[in-house]
Amino acid sequence: MSSPNRAELLQMFRTTASEIVEKEFASIEEATKITELGIDSLGMLEIIGSLERQLKIQIPDESLAGLTTVRDLIEAVEKRFKVQS
Amino acid sequence: MYVDPTLVPPTLADALRERAKRAHRGFTFVRSDASERYMSYPDILKEAERRGAALYARGAKKGDRVALVIPDGDEFVLTFLGAAISGLVPVPIYPQLSFKNVEGYHDTVAHIVSAAGAQLLVTTETTAPFVEPVKARAAGLREIVVASSFADQPHERVDVKVEPGDLGFLQFTSGSTSKPKGVAVTHGNLAWNSQCFIQQGLGRDDTDVGVSWLPLFHDMGLIGFLIGPVFTDIQVVFIPTANFVRAPRVWLEALSRHRGTITYAPNFAYALVTKRVKDRDVAELDLSCVRHAGCGAEPIQARTLREFADRLAPTGFRPEAFLPSYGMAEATLAISFGDRRGMGEKARGLRTDVVVQKALEAGEATAAAPGSEGSQEIVNCGRAFPHHEMRVVKPGTFEALADRQIGEILFRGPSMCNGYFQDAEKTAESFKDGWLHTGDLGYLVDGEVFICGRSKDLIIIRGRNFYPGDIEWAVSELPRIRRGNVVAFGHEVNGDEQLFLCAEAFQSDAAGLIEEITQLVNEQFSLNVHHVELVPQGALPRTSSGKPQRRKAKEMFVQGAFAKMRNKGATEAAT
Repeated sequence: MSSPNRAELLQMFRTTASEIVEKEFASIEEATKITELGIDSLGMLEIIGSLERQLKIQIPDESLAGLTTVRDLIEAVEKRFKVQS
Repeated sequence: MYVDPTLVPPTLADALRERAKRAHRGFTFVRSDASERYMSYPDILKEAERRGAALYARGAKKGDRVALVIPDGDEFVLTFLGAAISGLVPVPIYPQLSFKNVEGYHDTVAHIVSAAGAQLLVTTETTAPFVEPVKARAAGLREIVVASSFADQPHERVDVKVEPGDLGFLQFTSGSTSKPKGVAVTHGNLAWNSQCFIQQGLGRDDTDVGVSWLPLFHDMGLIGFLIGPVFTDIQVVFIPTANFVRAPRVWLEALSRHRGTITYAPNFAYALVTKRVKDRDVAELDLSCVRHAGCGAEPIQARTLREFADRLAPTGFRPEAFLPSYGMAEATLAISFGDRRGMGEKARGLRTDVVVQKALEAGEATAAAPGSEGSQEIVNCGRAFPHHEMRVVKPGTFEALADRQIGEILFRGPSMCNGYFQDAEKTAESFKDGWLHTGDLGYLVDGEVFICGRSKDLIIIRGRNFYPGDIEWAVSELPRIRRGNVVAFGHEVNGDEQLFLCAEAFQSDAAGLIEEITQLVNEQFSLNVHHVELVPQGALPRTSSGKPQRRKAKEMFVQGAFAKMRNKGATEAAT
């Protein structure tokens, strides 16, 4: 699987978040803080689990701690692509 | 007079030494990358003794509290057991969840460390940076120890006698508004409760295998799957909590692959599995091995369990395996099991009581025909264990109530803890005249208990009693509301208590949604909603486990915090 670009990852995050949390997240941008999404930590982990499955990657727990914005998460995903491909 | 239980060793230290006499059982730790590490009981004892000695080498003495912030299952279990069998008092603290308010986390950890008077805090290399700032905030904290440093310690055993009356560990419970309180749990409490729930509640047999993804810093995972199994000689497979949440099927896979017979989860987890599990997974799994699928730690919805059983029927999962349970940290863990029975008796699974909803409002649980209009189903959480008692009294008194009359649940017996660690005031509020005042409202029928809700959250409108959970559950059925994003509370308006609801939603839906909510509550409860506040996503305050905090939400509402958010939103939209 070729590496998706950041715009695609952001779109994937929006879609996945909407599916799992059953709310609309069209207005999310990279700079949006995760705490402002209104998704609890369980919900976030569900979303990450789904992204991992879709992209066939595994994000280690350590790189999840300290994520503040959606950009941080997208960068963590990108990094795994570089490591695993 | 304290007497030792008869079916298990008197302390956790005696229990682990007993287990280590044979190497045929042990624990399997699944890591976050899905690899597994198996340790037999003799290996566990050896490593635990080494860790206990390492803590003494760092200046700990018998009775000293040691804080643990350890996310990895094996590291946690070995350090916890090492401290406890060496006469130290472990204090488990939840590791930082990502995406959370970091400041708030440091405050909570510092509060727990100070309240426990812990001088040492054990953590792991990866977690250390997240707890480091606590050192500056918790005055008595002398040293943060990284668990990997225990490897340098030669194997030796600290020669300390552990007695049933000694503290086994401190269980800090996350109060919804107040700071966490540390329940003081003795070795005797642990021995008694383990005997109750595993020997008498689950009817343990030699083929039992426990499978758990529950957090080990919380009583259901810690006592249910670590301490209880050590007392009663059971194999356990531990899965990291995050693995389950990311991919709920890992729980079912572990049960199927390890032939798990005992598992436990809160209501939400059963709902999560039903929602996420794929047909392909169902086809590959064999869950006919599960003897007990316990449910506890939060209100149990009969419908959630039935949907789970239906979804997983093709795997051979038997609905009789369901075991609704009631308990709390102040009672060590378990108070009653929905289906406690003698060996060889047939499992009964989920049993419920159907009552007249209107009667609940007047404090009576009048039986109704199943499915009849205006009826409500309440899950049977069973009877107290031998040597333990439950009683339902008129709240604030010791006046016992008759069957089917709703009141406060009282509990006593050797599983009851003595109180909160070094907090006489809080202890006196809940532990009175030898009884634990649970703060839960419910009723008894022939000694079996049915839980209605927390007494502090009860909404009383014109003499009718409403449990916020019931109203919140009904409202979250609306398509635009997500479960767990609604809070109901009562608040006084001109001398009368009125119903208020706060729900997270988009402001663009506001008018229609408020109308829908009001109408729904009106229809289902014949109750007038005084005010619906639609708040931005993420605005409702939550506990560390993600449940909305009713009392805090009410406080924010009364102080006008939500109205301010709404006005800010309106201004932004206009400009």
